[in-house]
Amino acid sequence: MSLTAVLAVVVFAGAYVLIASEKVNRTAVALGGAALMVVLGVVRGKDVFFSEETGVDWNVIFLLLGMMIIVSILRQTGVFEFVAIWAAQKAKARPFRMMVLLVVITALASALLDNVTTVLLVAPVTLLLCERLALAPVPFLLAEAMASNIGGAATLIGDPPNIIIASRAGLTFNDFLVHLAPIVLVLLVAFVGLAWLLWGRRLRYNGERAEAVMQLTPGETISDHRLLRRMLVVLGLVLLGFLTHSLTHLEPSLVALLGAGAAVLVSRLPSEDFLADVEWETLLFFAGLFVMVGALVNAGVIHELAQSLTDTIGDNYLVASQGVLVGSAVLSGIVDNIPYVATMSPIVHDLVGAGGDLPPGQQSLWWALALGADLGGNATAIGASANVVVTGIARRNEHPISFWTFTKYGLVVTAVTVGLCVPYVWLRYFVLA
Amino acid sequence: MRAQDLVEQVPTVTRQTTGAEAARVVAEYRLSAVVVADESGRPIAVIPGSQLFGLVLPRWVRDDRTLVHAYDEKGADEICERLNEATIGDLLDDEKLTASKPPSVLPEDTLLEIASAMDDAHTPMLLVEDKEGTYYGALTMSRVLAAIATAAGQDSDLIRRRLEKDIILRGTPEQSGPTREAP
Repeated sequence: MSLTAVLAVVVFAGAYVLIASEKVNRTAVALGGAALMVVLGVVRGKDVFFSEETGVDWNVIFLLLGMMIIVSILRQTGVFEFVAIWAAQKAKARPFRMMVLLVVITALASALLDNVTTVLLVAPVTLLLCERLALAPVPFLLAEAMASNIGGAATLIGDPPNIIIASRAGLTFNDFLVHLAPIVLVLLVAFVGLAWLLWGRRLRYNGERAEAVMQLTPGETISDHRLLRRMLVVLGLVLLGFLTHSLTHLEPSLVALLGAGAAVLVSRLPSEDFLADVEWETLLFFAGLFVMVGALVNAGVIHELAQSLTDTIGDNYLVASQGVLVGSAVLSGIVDNIPYVATMSPIVHDLVGAGGDLPPGQQSLWWALALGADLGGNATAIGASANVVVTGIARRNEHPISFWTFTKYGLVVTAVTVGLCVPYVWLRYFVLA
Repeated sequence: MRAQDLVEQVPTVTRQTTGAEAARVVAEYRLSAVVVADESGRPIAVIPGSQLFGLVLPRWVRDDRTLVHAYDEKGADEICERLNEATIGDLLDDEKLTASKPPSVLPEDTLLEIASAMDDAHTPMLLVEDKEGTYYGALTMSRVLAAIATAAGQDSDLIRRRLEKDIILRGTPEQSGPTREAP
């Protein structure tokens, strides 16, 4: 291994440990690591901004930025709160029925928006509903965090790891819908069954308290009906843009940015209203991460890793995909799945290449990576950003969820969902391919 | 005019006072803030009245303001009853109320120094303490503004009455009533 490669590995490993320890701000670590890579000459300054392979992946950054702006405006309409309260009333405030509807709403919303935004919107209204029903909100919040991670796996835009995989693997929005949405649907049904076993059978209905939920006025939460109508049109057009990629050849990032521009125009909101919700830190974290991983590619570390993996697995893609699926699930439960996928993507790229027209066996590695990383996030309280946000909201509202409480349920849900993906990958890409 | 000329004796609450009782004190005495004192009567915090509104609102509503519209009148009244469940001490400990070291001025400080301290601390009430930490009383925003208006040449019966000594504990300027005891 060359000196450059050794330097790159040392900086990368150091940064990874710091990110995993959560002792230092992860954005500062990623940017600091990227700066070190440039200073040490592992990556050239020009490549940082202009290399598709080893620089900042602008497709990912701008897709995230565009979606953050759209969601920021959409959430101001109050539509999510309306849907959640309306669903609770449709469930006649029966606790488990309500939990199922909230789980389905969360999963659907997570498929279209990012998971953190979804739980930020669903958790407060859940606390309200539980307070009205005098129910402990913890089971509901746990179910929602896990549903958001499951639902987010269904689409290209549902979870940041999917956005990275799509960009690195050259996979389209439709590819994700065709390959991941069907299994996510199965997982969601299984999760509802699990939710009954884990929490639902212990929930008790209180007719007197149910009346307090039926008296809520969901329609009042819609702050601006005109803005809501306009934003639903914009969101619909953005989804259409993603779905028609094969015809328009517009990159998802461009579709999201055009959608964000349209949302800004039709909402006529002042810039501080929609820019306040943009997570600039996350975007910078991604940028720093891409440069660090790019440095590993530049130094030949990724190629060497991929080569040794190729030597080990040969062309046994079944073993490789099952290994990636389970291994990714385990690792994503322990470390943030974003840096994990950012690192694994170039390795998988080296192993099997990119594109939606790869042979099924080779393509299975990309889908195994996405499923493993997305679903593995459910394993622990720190496995996914949505979990961290939900436990934070629960703590602030005096319903703390300990790390072990989350993990106790999370491990069961992860084992079952990943367990269901194992035969799916085997059947779909090897037996029935 | 100096701080010692404007100082008033205001009712205080303690850590054991409930949120509802604190709201009642603020309302009864038409205060813009409430002073929290320890067992020895020494002020430990000044809580602006506006922060008491935050106490009425459950945390989830403060996280998502849209949700306030979902409550009907009965539900809203029920939520207000929550003020009886928590004490000022609980609320201070939970950091639901921001009450850092109470802002204070010296008895000899001028109107300009008082205005500067209020502006700097974004508070409608200041404590008056000397260099040894002896507590004299509090300065309320309305009284300080009355003094500023007088200094600026504005004068009226109401302004003069507002500047009378210890008007708070004797009743409000507009509605004089029986002398009230601080709780």
